[in-house]
Amino acid sequence: MRSIKIAGVFKALRGESILEDISLTIPAGKFFALLGPSGCGKTTLLRLIGGFESVDQGQIFLGNEEITHKPINQRKINTVFQNYALFPHLTVFENIAYSQTIRKVDPRIIRQKVVKMLKAVHLEAHIDKTIDQLSGGQQQRVALARAIINEPEVLLLDEPLAALDFKLREKMLLELIELQDKLKTTFVYVTHDQFEALTVADQMAIMNQDGFIEQIGTPKEIYEFPVSSFVASFVGTTNILQGVLRINENNDGKNYIDIPELGLFQVDIPVKKSFLLQGNRDVFMSIRPEKLFITKREAAGFTNGMRGLVESIVYHGRSTQYNVRLANGQLLQVFEQNEEHFPQDVIDYDHEVFLYWQKENAVVLER
Amino acid sequence: MNNYRYFLLGIPAIVWQILFFYIPLIFIVGLSFSGATYSQYFAPFFGATYFSIIARSLILALSNAIVCTLIAYPLAYFLAFRAGRFKYFFLFLVILPFWNNFLLHISAWIFVLDRHGVLNNFLTGVGLIQDPLPILNSPVAVGIMMVYFYLPFMVLPLYATLERFDRRLIEASSDLGATWWQTVTKILLPLSMSGIRSGFFLVFIPSFGEFAIPEFMGGNKTMYVGSLVSHLILGSQTVASGAAFTLISSVVLLVAVIFIYWCLRSKSEGRGSKEWNSKEQSSERIGDV
Repeated sequence: MRSIKIAGVFKALRGESILEDISLTIPAGKFFALLGPSGCGKTTLLRLIGGFESVDQGQIFLGNEEITHKPINQRKINTVFQNYALFPHLTVFENIAYSQTIRKVDPRIIRQKVVKMLKAVHLEAHIDKTIDQLSGGQQQRVALARAIINEPEVLLLDEPLAALDFKLREKMLLELIELQDKLKTTFVYVTHDQFEALTVADQMAIMNQDGFIEQIGTPKEIYEFPVSSFVASFVGTTNILQGVLRINENNDGKNYIDIPELGLFQVDIPVKKSFLLQGNRDVFMSIRPEKLFITKREAAGFTNGMRGLVESIVYHGRSTQYNVRLANGQLLQVFEQNEEHFPQDVIDYDHEVFLYWQKENAVVLER
Repeated sequence: MNNYRYFLLGIPAIVWQILFFYIPLIFIVGLSFSGATYSQYFAPFFGATYFSIIARSLILALSNAIVCTLIAYPLAYFLAFRAGRFKYFFLFLVILPFWNNFLLHISAWIFVLDRHGVLNNFLTGVGLIQDPLPILNSPVAVGIMMVYFYLPFMVLPLYATLERFDRRLIEASSDLGATWWQTVTKILLPLSMSGIRSGFFLVFIPSFGEFAIPEFMGGNKTMYVGSLVSHLILGSQTVASGAAFTLISSVVLLVAVIFIYWCLRSKSEGRGSKEWNSKEQSSERIGDV
């Protein structure tokens, strides 16, 4: 397995610029997810790595070897296509064996390899079936087996689970993680689904609508410490509040955010973001719905709290979502785990509630 | 449900077909048995002339269909995959000849291929040959005109098939290490077989009975099925022979078509899984005669 390095890549399609000056390193042997909204250019980036599109400007490296202009069929990179692109006139066996037949490998060795691949994707019983006899999930597995039989350095997966239903998707995600663990191949997984990305990735990159990479990190870093309001709201759900940063306002060594009509709230500014500590800067504060504690009574032990009115309630099963209207008119989302069958203090529509959170659980973002 | 309603939609075509095809066919069969001896039915098998005329027509139709396939496939490939936004313009050029009268094409080609025509003048002019080539009134002229006339019938079904071809299959093939040529032979050709077959029959079947082109371009030295039928039917004493010969050559054509169909069946059909792509199927119906 080798890493992928993208250095200053530009790409325009049909006169429209898709990627501008993209640089990215995908570490060797890692499960890497590229997450972004539909049409942001993530698939284009994947197609550049695979060699399906040519780079306008910039370079792509596989390990130390430059592959910018290397033909597709000579790259040690294979792809699992969206909707699979299986060959309809070939059987399951012939589909998986395709890359080996092309290379004129000894038929006996091909047979052994294909059987091994089928075992890896749990499809032994379907070896001689035609593609149209398989379900969506089984086709997905054939596509996977076909792509890994040639032992690629890098496996590209383009929204591979988009066509499957939710249960099957969860199952396939776990199987993909297991497979990557076993093969140690570098996986590059493109998706617009943050759940999939968070589930599979060792590392992930978030791409915004304009094709710029906003943040690279582990799923936990991305979720807990987003660097921009785009990342905060694209990955998971969050509440964004606007305010002005007040440095050491009360001469107590603490920093506050001043939110109009709501008041002052304590915030943590990590060293990395000390550049925010200049003057009274306009900022966003992002706070995740599950980090807010909702109660009908006043409570102690929190650094921050505010009041609101419950406007609507959405029952999700494992949690309940409260939409709370604040004094400034903004609506906040709050998730509460449904820990008990019969909670004592039921919160209902139009109840006045208190929302509490610890300052470490809110993130201050540049505006 | 209500399948018979869809059947109603077919009635105009069915009535038309019965009136102008099946009823005349019955007349032909009736005509073919007129006369006392039925010798008209045996003549083709004993007469070397009749036999060789059928064979010649078969060879003409087959070679025309093959040459058309060889020329049209790369053209259709270009139109479908490489022509980009100019493809409708090129497609327009392909069907443009249909806008002119057929006889005009014939006279134009005579003008080109004649002993003192454009081609010979050019070749002698640049000194490639000394004496003009006797192209007109030879099988070569028939072949040129046949390919010229039938090429669009091959290009259009092939283009229709390739245009709808799932390009990701081509990408997948190269991704898995195939060269361009391997992709063409292992993926593109097998999966466009239905288009090839449609085009093949659209060219092969009418070529077999082609009357005008051999008549005008081939001189009257060589006879083909079409010219013989018209000769026999128009002759006052030989109508029965003409009818019998028509039926016999139709049977030969039918056998040939079945054989070609078997040769050109696509691989997936051999396995009994025809339903893989409903679009692929519909293109077949356009062409199947």
